[in-house]
Amino acid sequence: MLLTVIVFLPLAGLVAIALLPRDSRGAKWLAASVMGVDLALVAWVAAHFDVARGMQFAIDVPWVSQAHIRYHMAVDGISLTMLGLSALLGLLAVIASWKQEDRPKAYFAMLLLLQVGMNGVFVALDFVLFYVFWELVLVPMFFLIGLWGGPKREYAAIKFFLYTLLGSVFMLVGILALYLHPAGGTFDMLALAKAGASGALPFGFQWWVFLAFFLGFAVKVPVWPLHTWLPDAHVEAPTAASVLLAGVLLKMGAYGFIRVSLPMLPDAARAWAPFIGVLAVISIVYGAAVAFAQTDLKKLVAYSSVSHMGFVMLGIAAGTVEGLDGAVAVMFSHGIVTGMLFLLVGMVYERTHTRAIADLSGLVVAAPLTGGLLAFASFASLGLPGLSGFVGEFLSLLGGWRSALLPKWITIGAASGVLLAAAYMLWMVLRVVLGKPSAATEGMSDASPRELAVLAPLIALTFAVGLYWDSILRFVDPAVKAISVVVTGAA
Amino acid sequence: MGSWALIAPEITLLATALLVMFSDAVLRGRRRAGAWLGAVGALTAAGLALWAGQGEVTPFGAMLAVDGAAQAARIATGLLTAVFLVWLAGKGLGVGRVRHAATLVLLSSLGSMLVASANDWVVLFLALETATMPLYVLVGFDRDSERGLEGAMKYFILSMVTSVTMLYGLSFVLGLSGTTAYAGARVGGGAMGLFAVALVAVGLLAKLSAAPFHWWAPDAYAGSPASSMAFVSTVPKIAGVVALVRVADVLAPQVPGMRVILLAAAVASVLLGNVAAFPQRDVRRLMAYSGVAHVGYVLLALGSGSGLGPGAAAFYVLAYAVPSMGVMLVAADEGTDLETLAGLVRRRPWMASALAVFLLSLVGVPPLVGFFGKLYVFQAALDAGLAWLAVVGVLMSVVSAGFYLRVLQAAFFSQRASAVPEDLERTHAADVAIGICVAATLLLGVAAAPLLTMPGVALR
Repeated sequence: MLLTVIVFLPLAGLVAIALLPRDSRGAKWLAASVMGVDLALVAWVAAHFDVARGMQFAIDVPWVSQAHIRYHMAVDGISLTMLGLSALLGLLAVIASWKQEDRPKAYFAMLLLLQVGMNGVFVALDFVLFYVFWELVLVPMFFLIGLWGGPKREYAAIKFFLYTLLGSVFMLVGILALYLHPAGGTFDMLALAKAGASGALPFGFQWWVFLAFFLGFAVKVPVWPLHTWLPDAHVEAPTAASVLLAGVLLKMGAYGFIRVSLPMLPDAARAWAPFIGVLAVISIVYGAAVAFAQTDLKKLVAYSSVSHMGFVMLGIAAGTVEGLDGAVAVMFSHGIVTGMLFLLVGMVYERTHTRAIADLSGLVVAAPLTGGLLAFASFASLGLPGLSGFVGEFLSLLGGWRSALLPKWITIGAASGVLLAAAYMLWMVLRVVLGKPSAATEGMSDASPRELAVLAPLIALTFAVGLYWDSILRFVDPAVKAISVVVTGAA
Repeated sequence: MGSWALIAPEITLLATALLVMFSDAVLRGRRRAGAWLGAVGALTAAGLALWAGQGEVTPFGAMLAVDGAAQAARIATGLLTAVFLVWLAGKGLGVGRVRHAATLVLLSSLGSMLVASANDWVVLFLALETATMPLYVLVGFDRDSERGLEGAMKYFILSMVTSVTMLYGLSFVLGLSGTTAYAGARVGGGAMGLFAVALVAVGLLAKLSAAPFHWWAPDAYAGSPASSMAFVSTVPKIAGVVALVRVADVLAPQVPGMRVILLAAAVASVLLGNVAAFPQRDVRRLMAYSGVAHVGYVLLALGSGSGLGPGAAAFYVLAYAVPSMGVMLVAADEGTDLETLAGLVRRRPWMASALAVFLLSLVGVPPLVGFFGKLYVFQAALDAGLAWLAVVGVLMSVVSAGFYLRVLQAAFFSQRASAVPEDLERTHAADVAIGICVAATLLLGVAAAPLLTMPGVALR
């Protein structure tokens, strides 16, 4: 029941906003309070979560009984981690948009609708319900990019929608195939995971269904070469939408692999692992290399996402406990760190009206707080030990190395990504943060208290996770073990 | 329950139609009162259909079958007719002829209800003609529009040709079986049986404007007022699909070729409808092709031969009809080409939001009704082992997103705010009608699920 409230409270907020008078300025207050309550509820769930048990806070009732669709939600450690990320970034996105003047009612309504989908995906355990939330996310993001985005917003919005729709309709075919298979026969994701673990699904069938789900999830992650929607969408989206896109939406794809592909189709996952490992390495190296070449600060961050999500895919392909721990840790860390980076880029753009790296220089002199924080976020992003980025990348490389499913060169190739990330990030810091202030940055105002308040929890989490790994792994590890044992056959 | 009580909805519609037609003396000067009267009549008919259709009964010596499928189709037909008439009462259609339009709509609705429960070849044919005749007039309702008349003419000719073709096919069916009752149909598996079934299928497919009998649709749609197409392109198809379900139920087991015919028409419709809709700039033409595509999905479910097919088909046609009517009603007010729709969100944000709900449902975005429609159709196709057809279907639904999004792009993202049409009249009745369509699109996904297991629909 609590999960239902967490998922649908933003919808109630949306209805309330719709009822506000046309020129009301209350939308942001309403949105912020709804998101605040949501985050508090998630925190309550986390506090009362028993890490020793699997799925908790379950609700499972018939929904469309004629079609055997149920309303089934629950959280395990992985879901809870993602739900926390989604609720936190949702609240911060609202506060970061405090100065939204252009049609604020519709804008905050869309953020709330997005929150319904994001929260729902991570707790749904009925496949149709899962798909409903999965697709629901597209609609508000389409409008957020298309109505409040940059100059190429129409193109970016439509490309985003069509790309992800194309992927997810194949996922729908996969869902139906599992439902119609005699050994599946249900939309219940836990029952299907049981069927997968018991080996009841024949390998050939698994292989094809894995392909269908792969198309759905890999577009979302995104895995090279299915990533081309990402730079357009990220760059054109307004800051808050970029934060949520990178912070939460990309994680949906990776979450899908962990929640669906590995446990339900373990034989196919083993067969596909080297292929996914190769794509992961290409994503890591390609994303980093392209990030190097970017002249636009926001694009650089966008391509760095492709690279970082490659580490997630490496951990998933490995299938080992360390690999999956690392994958979830990168997902969480990338969510908060890239969120920070997009917020900072947005703050710089708001003040200087440019995102061209060549025009920006000496940020730390012109605006010491902003510049310093940008440098900090960059260090976190490149995986400096002691900050959150290191935890996941280290674990997923370790997992990849130890995995029997992946050849060693894959992990060696992936490790080079750590060096590349250090290089492009430090080079960016060198050009943008250090040096003499340029015409654009000269005299720009520094971060406001509101902006600092948005960044503060992210900074705190970056340290907390980086210094005390157990803060996140104590939730993730038990849940991951149950999945890894199915894939690798060894705990 | 007596035979006459069972057709109380049809009697009500007939009485209302006559009342509206000849109520000139009473309603003088209040042109739109006729449409209101019609709406009340249609609503009453829907209520009576709900009351009359409990269980499986075959009144009038089994000429009609009032089973779950017929009940659902009659209720849906009555309700949607009422919604359309409420809109008509608010807006009018052409100048000074609201009453005539209302009468035609009621008569077509009457025919549709009979189509849905036809259980006899002669009844089916007569009911189909009753349902279709008024539509020719509605398509050509704008007497001064040459394109409208051309479209009506094309529709009339194609419809007549296919009707006669169907009648020719029926003569073989009757000759082979020796009775006009569905129950006694014995066409046999031979060439003669296949020939007869093919001709009958032509008639039914043409009424649903499935490819390759769709070519009249784009011209007719684009030539006639969007408001009349809101009715013509949606409501009669509900009953048409239920009739096809029942005919397939009778004939497909005897003539396996029928499934091939249905599947061929399904593939042709889905491919051609979605691809041809892509370049259209006129919402009516776009919706004409999209209508072809959506009927393709219905046929896909039906032709799959899966036990899930009939229920999925009946559900899908409803999932198509409601948002399509909504799109046409919005277009009737706000302009039918993408240029006039530009900037709709700025001048009428609520109308733009309604349009977004309808179009996203037609794309198949959950949790709107269109998603559930597609879910059940693909389920039926996969259940029958037709994985490749399901893949074609999902790919084409992505293509469809391409052109539906272009409409949304114009309405929401366009910077050019086009002027509001000057003679635009804003009435609460029209808003209520569109609001009902929105609510149904949002909620039917769950509420209409009983259709899937309704006796007579999923019956195999």
